[in-house]
Amino acid sequence: MGFDEYLKNFENLTQKYIPQEKDWTPVDDAVYKPKDLFRIPLKEAEKLQFKALKYQFKNQYENNKMYHGFCKEVKKTPDDIKNYDDLEKIPLIPGEFYKDYPMGQDFALWLANIFTGDIPHIKISGKNPSFDEVINSFNSAGLAVAYSSGTSGRHTFIPRDMRTFNISEYSLAKLAISMAYPAWDYDSQGYLLMPNPFKTNVYAGKVCTVYYDVIKNVTAAIDKEINTELIKMSMTGGSGFKAKMIRSYLAKMNKKIINDIIKWLDKNDKQKNRIIFAGAPFFLFAVTKKLKEQGTTYDFSDRSAILTGGGWKVHEDKRMPVDRFRKQMEEVLGIRPEHCLDAYGMVEGNGWMVHCPEGHYLHIPISYFHPMVLDDEFKPVGYNEYGRFAFLDAGAFSYPGFIISGDRVRMLEHCPVCDRPGPVLEPEVTRASGKEMRGCAEELRRMISADIGEE
Amino acid sequence: MTFLREMKDKGYIPQKTYMKMMMGGTLSLSKTLLFNMSELKKLRTIPDTEERYVRPKREYNIPKFNKNMKFYESNEKYLRPTLYCNPSDPEVIALANKLGAFKKSDKEFAEAAFHLVKEKMTLEILPMNEVGETFRRGTGTCFHLITAFIALCRSAGIKARYKIFAINMIKAWYDAVVEADPLVKKWYDSMGYFMLEGEGEAYIDGKWVVAHVGPKAERQAAAGIPITKFGEDSIGNWFFAIPGTMMFMESIPYGFSGSTKLLKIIAPGSMERVNISILKQIEKGRQIIREAGGLEAYDRKARSEKGPKKPVMEIKKHEKIIFED
Repeated sequence: MGFDEYLKNFENLTQKYIPQEKDWTPVDDAVYKPKDLFRIPLKEAEKLQFKALKYQFKNQYENNKMYHGFCKEVKKTPDDIKNYDDLEKIPLIPGEFYKDYPMGQDFALWLANIFTGDIPHIKISGKNPSFDEVINSFNSAGLAVAYSSGTSGRHTFIPRDMRTFNISEYSLAKLAISMAYPAWDYDSQGYLLMPNPFKTNVYAGKVCTVYYDVIKNVTAAIDKEINTELIKMSMTGGSGFKAKMIRSYLAKMNKKIINDIIKWLDKNDKQKNRIIFAGAPFFLFAVTKKLKEQGTTYDFSDRSAILTGGGWKVHEDKRMPVDRFRKQMEEVLGIRPEHCLDAYGMVEGNGWMVHCPEGHYLHIPISYFHPMVLDDEFKPVGYNEYGRFAFLDAGAFSYPGFIISGDRVRMLEHCPVCDRPGPVLEPEVTRASGKEMRGCAEELRRMISADIGEE
Repeated sequence: MTFLREMKDKGYIPQKTYMKMMMGGTLSLSKTLLFNMSELKKLRTIPDTEERYVRPKREYNIPKFNKNMKFYESNEKYLRPTLYCNPSDPEVIALANKLGAFKKSDKEFAEAAFHLVKEKMTLEILPMNEVGETFRRGTGTCFHLITAFIALCRSAGIKARYKIFAINMIKAWYDAVVEADPLVKKWYDSMGYFMLEGEGEAYIDGKWVVAHVGPKAERQAAAGIPITKFGEDSIGNWFFAIPGTMMFMESIPYGFSGSTKLLKIIAPGSMERVNISILKQIEKGRQIIREAGGLEAYDRKARSEKGPKKPVMEIKKHEKIIFED
């Protein structure tokens, strides 16, 4: 099948994520118009990016009081953005800002106050509502508030409207599927190595609802409701009876997931089905480790793909080299390294960096997402320098998505291996010093077990 | 009945959140002690061959009290005497007068009191006592120091209160205070994030202004963080408050000093080890400040390294958010 037909099949399945063309803004032009977001000629991509970011900066400046005040403080207005090089003048917000929230009713007001533009009427019950109660109230009113990172007991809460959330879901799927060409096919069996997206507001899980639209049959690894309370109990080491019960339950669930995946592999091997895994790599590492011990191997070589995401820790002190992971997948499951891709993104952003199959460098969707690397004084540095990853995300309509992350990266001007235009990030992303360990897979790993995948 | 009402009004009776945390802490400590009896036996005393704690010399003079010294006497909330905090104690009155009570503006006085307590008094883990004794000694836990700040403010007619919360501490503080003794470490780790910390607050020009008097500049330098000023919060800087644990109190509640008293009886060696470690941390910080070219130079550097500017968030009522009780 040619790439055009391949992508047309994807577009047909994801129409509900795309707004009507009459309502398109320069942001929608940058997200939905290009056929392959990773193959836009550089000049054209920069043009789309400039228009999209200029539009989005103006939107945030005019419709978000908190951000407007911040811009005034640092003396920047949309009039300062006259050409592409001016984009880096857009004031950046440290990601930690979205971790600095109050409790109870004030949490609801905090979410409403960081939201850009109008929100619907939201009714919240109780004098001291929990985080989950507040989020569920927002989401029942048609929003998509999600959160991440409970590693230190603090989550990052991001208030998305459906327009922003759709951009995130659509682009994740489109970017991964484009990169995986021709490995994706709707008539596949999918295994989501994440919580069921319909039963959680954890961003890493929630953003995967699109997986159910682009894959015929999907099984989720964790089918239980995952909320902030459960995460707190499992991750911050509470010593109470309830916390212990939860941890014991999760440990059992962990073992069950590994066995379930093995049974699932067995069934699909016998039925000669095409399989697609998506999610946290440590599950697959644990599965293949167990299969290796059993002396079992499969050959899914011509009918499989893996899209991992969320970090590469397999144990408290152990980080898994990505190339070793691919080798293990090939040895045990027969999945080819070029069909084994990783995606890098975060709860604060709607742009997804995806490995190219040729060199496994992280390619950036630059038509709507402007990447930067900052030095210790938070000033942009050139290509080939290590520094903190920051970005201007035109896809964020409902909050200012101009963010300084806590991740340490190195950006190259071109991919050293493939011919896709635009800058890339080196394959492995680490945390900047002083920042806690995070990544959705790490959160999930810590939540469900401490010893999964241990060697 | 009046007595009971007054106890409740002053906050002597612990709040629900506080009770929950204290009970959790007590249970956790009991469990740690019970399951570590042999370790406790080894750690409860420090052998003579090992380094011992020597309390540092008081860094300020207390003027002699005389009856002509002015002080504010009131039964108004946040101005009246509370547990361990008597604003009409002679040492408190003498020091408040020395710092310029009734001569300086409220803000200037509170800043002077903040500076005295934060920079001239030293952290020492020991059971709670009356504020006069704390001033005579010149050392105390953060709660002794907060009480000292509050007593000075109240004596000068400035309303002051406690802000108490459970914390996740930064690693440098964890290393100095928790890692210093295996038993304390086990206690802390078994409690997960339970450990109380606090700050003072003074009511100035219609607003509660925070005063984090616990760490001296040297201790902050040893942890690589900026020197907090009057009005700057420790939360997000020195500590991370556990959501849902923040409490504002007029007084330290009954039973508060129980855990430190108990620890002093059961494991005095552990307390001593922590105090030795604190003094070492102060020495380390002193050197860091010296090498940075002085306090101001250190603070400037630490602030520039602290991270990028964040937007200021004001939480306002929102017409679209409807709260239903």
